[in-house]
Amino acid sequence: MSRENDVVIEIDDLSKSYGHHEVLRGLSLRVEAGEVYGLLGPNGAGKSTLLHLLLGFLKPTAGHVRVLGSSNLERMRAQIGYIPERQRYHTRYTAREYLRFMGEMNGLYGSALSNRLDELIILVDLEADANRMLSTFSKGMLQRLGVAQALLGDPNLLLIDEPTSGLDPVGQRAVLDLLASLRDRGHTVFLCTHYLHEIEYLCDRVGVLARGQIAAEAWVHDLRIPSSNVMIEVDRLEPELRTQLQTLSMGITCEPRIIQIRQNTPQLQTEVLQLLINAGVAILSLAPLESPLEQFYSQAVQTRIQMQHAGSTDDAGLSTTAHESMPVARPTGEGETLLNELLRRNSGSANGETNKPE
Amino acid sequence: MRSLRFTGFMLLEYIRSGRVALEIIATLVVFFVFLRRVGISMNAEYFFSVTGVYAPILTLYTTAAFIGLGDRPQGYVLLAHGMSRTSYLLGIFGSAFSIVAGSYGILSVMAALFNRPLDLNIFGWMLGTLPLLLNIALLAALMLMLSPLVFPSAWRLTVLGLIALAFSSNFIGGPIFESLPSLVRAILRAVQAVLGGPLVPAFYGFQLTVTRDYSSMTAVANILAQVSLLIALLGLAIYSFSRRDLMFSDGAP
Repeated sequence: MSRENDVVIEIDDLSKSYGHHEVLRGLSLRVEAGEVYGLLGPNGAGKSTLLHLLLGFLKPTAGHVRVLGSSNLERMRAQIGYIPERQRYHTRYTAREYLRFMGEMNGLYGSALSNRLDELIILVDLEADANRMLSTFSKGMLQRLGVAQALLGDPNLLLIDEPTSGLDPVGQRAVLDLLASLRDRGHTVFLCTHYLHEIEYLCDRVGVLARGQIAAEAWVHDLRIPSSNVMIEVDRLEPELRTQLQTLSMGITCEPRIIQIRQNTPQLQTEVLQLLINAGVAILSLAPLESPLEQFYSQAVQTRIQMQHAGSTDDAGLSTTAHESMPVARPTGEGETLLNELLRRNSGSANGETNKPE
Repeated sequence: MRSLRFTGFMLLEYIRSGRVALEIIATLVVFFVFLRRVGISMNAEYFFSVTGVYAPILTLYTTAAFIGLGDRPQGYVLLAHGMSRTSYLLGIFGSAFSIVAGSYGILSVMAALFNRPLDLNIFGWMLGTLPLLLNIALLAALMLMLSPLVFPSAWRLTVLGLIALAFSSNFIGGPIFESLPSLVRAILRAVQAVLGGPLVPAFYGFQLTVTRDYSSMTAVANILAQVSLLIALLGLAIYSFSRRDLMFSDGAP
């Protein structure tokens, strides 16, 4: 298990190109021991490339990577558990045979290996299927096997790539619960995904990878603050009433049965509801327009794209370095969260200082 | 040890997948077509001439099959468990070599049981087998080195070009060669001589397999040359594989 306050992953100014195609450009980040860090990014953003750089499969074009305090990544691999995105395993083996071989590669033998196998097979709930060929396994079972193989060497760091990709809802839930149990045991986890709910469910901190850089970082704890923007569903909305509503604020948009309130305030929301009630409109539902994490993610990606299209990282008065290209919640707490910045921009009210989760 | 264990792992997968049936069938076909008793008994020279050609051909197929097995995203998980790239590459090489050597072994046993060469004893078989196995290993190592897994495209094309140039004396000869300007001829001869050097141990190795003539020191020197060339090819492959970006087929991030 990792020691607290150690930096497990240190990446400085990392760039990676394939020929003329630049995938990562000056990326920097830190992950501390015991932390579950979620890297969020669209498909093709370079998340898997980053994982392969951390494992030493790829060589950086520029910059530095240190994992568990060492830059000799090949040597550190035995202390890292890796769960790949694609569930490609050697299917001509039974689960127990496969895990036994992987355990031997991790330097486990004899009774220590047998005990570890039994323990992990129970953990991932594969007792009944341990002696079945992997070719007969479902995707969900293969993903649970992936978790077991990653834990064989009792790793100090777990690198996980799109853990629920291609799984049905039941399989997704099983894998997420399994990963949550690892988090609760104190494993340091670096999780790459493009699913927001995985970040919300599992992670302590989130970074958004866009256009080869960390466009923004935040504590997930901060992003759990409910969004003030709301969507109201009504049975009907006459044109006159729509006009009346839209004159209340620039942030109100109306469709025939939907009203969206952005830049919302309690007072504005009350006024909108009052108008609807006075007009005798039936209010069918009132719900947050989007989750703060979703807002955080889309804003980070859009801003990064806009900045790149502008041809400069020095845009709209924001700082020029990769980490400062968006407001960032730093682990030390000296920065502001993007959420705060967004709320300030959107509603004109700041939500206070960023708090590092306990 | 890890490369040996990995070799066993790859071999078991190859056998369980049923792919090994091709090697077994090919070996049986070669025996029944070329080596079974038809009227007269065969001699050792004939036996080694057949196996000396068959084994390298089988090496081409089997090594390609194992390179394919090694060049899959499954390799990422194996390497993530602390296996070094060197062990990984040697495991692939060892697996291919084992299958071809095993096929040759089966062919030898069948010949010994059903149509034993009259002038061949176990010692003679070993003398012929040693350079043959080294040739199998050389070819497997060369194929591994030239695979997309190990060498980038540019290097692959360069090495293949050099090999073609080394062989060119067999294709560019007589009137064509004489029609070239004298300076070009001189340069071409020199290049062919230099590049043809590494091929000598393999060709002489085949001759040694057939003749089993170890009466001169040249034979021993050739065995050493085969071993040296094998180490050089494997060393170059390991060096290249350890330095390049690891991107298995259909598994690029």
